Amino acid sequence: MKIHSTGEVFEVGSDQSIFEVLEDNGVFLAVSCESGVCGTCQTGVISGVPDHRDVFLTDKEHAQGKFVMPCCSRSKSAILELDL
Amino acid sequence: MSQPTFPKNTWYVAAMSDEVAGSKPLGRKICGESIAFYRSHENEIAAVLDFCPHRGAALSLGYVEDGLLVCGYHGLKMGADGKTKEMPLQRVKGFPCMKSYAVEERYGFIWVWPGDQAQADKSLIPHLEWAVNPEWAYGGGLYHINCDYRLMVDNLMDLTHETYVHASSIGQKEIDESPVSTQVEGDKVITSRFMENIMAPPFWQAALRGNGLADDVLVDRWQICRFSPPSHVMIDVGVAHAGHGGFDAPADKKASSTVVDFITPETETSIWYFWGMARNFKPEDQALTDTIRDGQGKIFAEDLEVLERQQENLLAFPDYNLLKLDIDAGGVQSRRVIDRIIAKEQVKSSTIQTDAPLQTVSF
Repeated sequence: MKIHSTGEVFEVGSDQSIFEVLEDNGVFLAVSCESGVCGTCQTGVISGVPDHRDVFLTDKEHAQGKFVMPCCSRSKSAILELDL
Repeated sequence: MSQPTFPKNTWYVAAMSDEVAGSKPLGRKICGESIAFYRSHENEIAAVLDFCPHRGAALSLGYVEDGLLVCGYHGLKMGADGKTKEMPLQRVKGFPCMKSYAVEERYGFIWVWPGDQAQADKSLIPHLEWAVNPEWAYGGGLYHINCDYRLMVDNLMDLTHETYVHASSIGQKEIDESPVSTQVEGDKVITSRFMENIMAPPFWQAALRGNGLADDVLVDRWQICRFSPPSHVMIDVGVAHAGHGGFDAPADKKASSTVVDFITPETETSIWYFWGMARNFKPEDQALTDTIRDGQGKIFAEDLEVLERQQENLLAFPDYNLLKLDIDAGGVQSRRVIDRIIAKEQVKSSTIQTDAPLQTVSF
C-alpha cells in the first residue's frame, strides 16, 4: 500500500487491515464502525485495484474502484495507492 | 439457568387496539422482550425490538412517519421487518437487521408471538365468539400488576376469594360453603361451582335489575372457570331465578355473562392483565357496557394489592411449599398444563436458537 502524499510504501499482512497498518505507522485516518458499514474512512484510490469488503459502497462504486474503505477492504493489485 | 415460567412460542394479548394509534408508538415488554408496537402503512400493526440499531435507544420514544418508526434520538427510520430504511446523511443497507415480531390485530386486541418467529402461526389465535357475534357486547380494561402471571391464573381459577376480597360486590358466604369440581380436558381446565336457592349479592342484584328481572327472590348462581393456554381464563358467571335451570335457564330468567381474562407476562414477576366482560343481553346498550366496565374495574382493582403483596412474600420465602387444597385444584391443574407446554418448548429450543436479540444480516 502506497501513501500518495509522501510516497511511503507499507506492507499489509494477511491478518491486518489497511487501517491497522496506517495507524501502526502514524498515518491518521478517521474510522468509526471498522466493519464497512458507516463510510467514515472512505478514501480515494489513485492507482491499483481494491478488493472491496464493505457494504457501504454500491455495486457500481465498487466496480469503478475510485474509493475504498480501508477499515475492512484489501487490494487485488500488488500496490494500492491511496489519496492520503 | 432456572426453568422459564412462561412459554414464549405462543400468542399473547399485547395491547388493546386503541392503545396504539396515530403516530405514537407503544413500548411494552412482553415475556421479557422489549417491543415497540406502531401503526405502519395503511394503519397495519407492526412490532419490532424496542432497540435502535444505531445506539440502542428505545425506538418507542420516537414517532411514526410515512409508515416507518423514526427513532427519537438521531432520526433512524425503522421498517416493520426490522430493517433500517433511511437515516439522515447515512447509507443504511449494511445496518444490522433487528428482531421483528409476528403481530396480529384481532377481536379488538393486538396479539404478539414473542418467541421463535419461524413458528408463529396466525391460525393458532383462539376463536372468540363473543368478539365477532353481534348478539354480544364487550367492555374491559387493563391493569399492570407486579406478580407472577400464574398467581393471577390461581386467583381466577379459584373464586373462593370473592367472599373475602370482593365482599361488598360479588362475594357472599355461600361461595365458600359450596364445593368446587375440577376437570381437565387436554390442555383445558374447568373449575365449576354451583349455588342454589341463595340471595344474589349486590353486583348480581344490579345485573338482574338491568335485565328487567326481580332482584329480591332466590336465585341459582354459577361460576364456571375455563383455563386455556398460555394464560387465558374465561369465566361463565351469572344468576337465574331459582328452579329454572341455573346456567341453562332461559334468557328471560337470568342475568349472565362471560368474564374475559388475558394474562400476559411482562417479566417473571409482573403482568399486563387484560380484563373484561362479554354479555349477550342488551348488546347495543353502550351505557350499560360503560356501567359494567366501571363496576368490574373497581372490583378487579381489589385484587391488585393482594397479588402484589403475595408476590413479595413468595420472593422473600422462595423455598416455602405453598399448600394446595381442594379449592386450588383449578390453579394447580392449569400450572401442570403450563409446565407441560414449557417442557415441550425447551426440548425444541435445545436444537433451535430462539433467543437471539438481534437478527443480523450476513454481508
